[in-house]
Amino acid sequence: MPVISVLVALFIGAIFVLISGHNPIRAYAALILGAFGSPYDISETLVIAVPLTLAGLSVAVAFRTGLFNIGAQGQLLVGALAAGWTGSQFPDLPGIVLLPLTLISGVLGGAGYGAIAGWLKATRGVNEVITTIMQNYIVVFVMHWLLQDGPMTAPNAAGTPASSPIGAGAILPVIIPNELVPLSRLHAGIVLAVLAVILFWFLLWRTSLGYELRAVGLGALAAAQAGIDPKRRMVLVMAIAGGFAGLAGMIQVSGLFHRVFDGFSAGFGFDAIAVALLGKNSPIGITLAAILFAAFARGGTLMQANAGISSHLVEVIEALVLFVIAAETIVRAIAGRRGPAQALA
Amino acid sequence: MNIEVLIGAGVLAATLRLATPIALAALGGVVTERSGVTNIALEGCMLMGAFFAIFAADKTGSLPVAILVGLIAGVALAGLHALASITFRADQIVSGMALNILALGLTSYLDYELYGTTGTPASLPGVPTVDLGFLSAIPVLGGAFGHQSSILWVTFLLVIVLELFLFRTVPGLRLRAVGEHPRAAETVGIDVRRTRYWAVLASGALAALGGVYLSMAVAGSFTDGMTNGKGFIGLAAMIFGRWKPVGALIASLIFGYGDALSVSLQGVSIADVRIPVQLLSTIPYVLTILAVAGFVGRSRAPAADGLPYESEGH
Repeated sequence: MPVISVLVALFIGAIFVLISGHNPIRAYAALILGAFGSPYDISETLVIAVPLTLAGLSVAVAFRTGLFNIGAQGQLLVGALAAGWTGSQFPDLPGIVLLPLTLISGVLGGAGYGAIAGWLKATRGVNEVITTIMQNYIVVFVMHWLLQDGPMTAPNAAGTPASSPIGAGAILPVIIPNELVPLSRLHAGIVLAVLAVILFWFLLWRTSLGYELRAVGLGALAAAQAGIDPKRRMVLVMAIAGGFAGLAGMIQVSGLFHRVFDGFSAGFGFDAIAVALLGKNSPIGITLAAILFAAFARGGTLMQANAGISSHLVEVIEALVLFVIAAETIVRAIAGRRGPAQALA
Repeated sequence: MNIEVLIGAGVLAATLRLATPIALAALGGVVTERSGVTNIALEGCMLMGAFFAIFAADKTGSLPVAILVGLIAGVALAGLHALASITFRADQIVSGMALNILALGLTSYLDYELYGTTGTPASLPGVPTVDLGFLSAIPVLGGAFGHQSSILWVTFLLVIVLELFLFRTVPGLRLRAVGEHPRAAETVGIDVRRTRYWAVLASGALAALGGVYLSMAVAGSFTDGMTNGKGFIGLAAMIFGRWKPVGALIASLIFGYGDALSVSLQGVSIADVRIPVQLLSTIPYVLTILAVAGFVGRSRAPAADGLPYESEGH
């Protein structure tokens, strides 16, 4: 099913390219070449896949519990701000202390922000979709303030408002030797992402908490009958979701940019929704979907540079993938496997 | 600190300008959610309206055609949402997210393909402003209302019309019934699907008018992603305004005022402490969360909002 939705989206995208007077085969060739054409391109694709995977886990863990986390974007930014603050505040600490501190700051920052949405849902019945949408905007403006003329603004910064750089100890090093792939930016964050995917799997399928979370997701009433309190789980699961997203933000700071700046990592949290849905909320699926969307993002940039086709084409394709998944019943109805009526159940 | 930056004609005029697109999106939200369909694609509908109005203005040079094409583009996007969420009972949030990304991708793509890096052409027909010369004698009010876009006045009119429609007419009552209890509504012979289709399409047109306002009346051009979350603030205004047209307008004005202040208070200090103007922009979102949580009044969504409906006789 996920493969079909991608193919449908690519097909409609191709029609689109054709109408706008370009050759779709050239477009997609440039896209693939841009994403995987050289070891450097592959490493750049992976650099994008790392935060996408983590943000995808964030959305997926909430989905598994029956919650819709549209707030991965905001949680990612809070994680980045917290990590950036810790990393730049104590620049002289040795790495063995500073790196774990930075990581914990990022995860806790995201987790705390996510937990707010869970808490409001559990105690006041507020739909988490509303809370997390609002939270996404709140953090953007708080970030403007922090970085433009607030407590985190770098002294004498020119250009894009940014924080001071983090200390050397907070940096996740590049793991590919320069002799092997020159200029590669692929950093140790990829190891953290792989560990997070394993943690996600272990948590959901190998712990009693994970069992309870999934039980709530499959039916809150039935879970309550079985003695699982859905409300308490809501706060916890949104905190876990926020933690994954916060880790994504921390990795962007520690691995890639070494500071926080205004307009930081825009859009990852939204792409993450597509990643989680396309990956069917499974560990492997999310990883593959994240690599696919990362390839779109990386390849799209080069497609625009080399084939002269707007990189926004990949947004159109991504939206189509999402839309086809959303309207999966359409495809099912067309494929004749089962009608929309049954698909509801 | 000068009182002018708080309640001067300039700030109030800016409040009205900034509130107009928010209010239009919020009205769209009221109509669709009252019928039981959540439409977070209003942001996308706005963007479609903004782009296609400029596109049509460039091609035809006609303002009415431009506005019409803009509205149709928003309705088309809303139509996809209606198809997914009403006919195919897709998850309305996922569909809305997808359509927001689609609108952003599509308009940015076409913008690049058609206008490249030079931007949309200058000297397109603008939306006329309504000059109320007789008001100029009145301080503050004259400056605030004297030179506003005709779309602002249309918005005021729409607020009244929709308030009357929803709460004083039979079709309006039916629409609300469909959003509160679709099963009961169907039992008394109301076509739930058709009502919801109309409501979603109308929401697309209203949001698109907000987009037309941004591109044709304010900017005179299109830039990628120019709605910049206005559709989502509109949803916030709808919630804060308790799913009522007049309430949504008041909420939009409050949010617009916050935006206007964040501009006019730039660089202003109180007792040597610079006002963090950026934080003023968080007010709409914080207020909305507080309102939904019941800390500030109590804001309750229509009972069947966001739930797909399957007819008994299916």
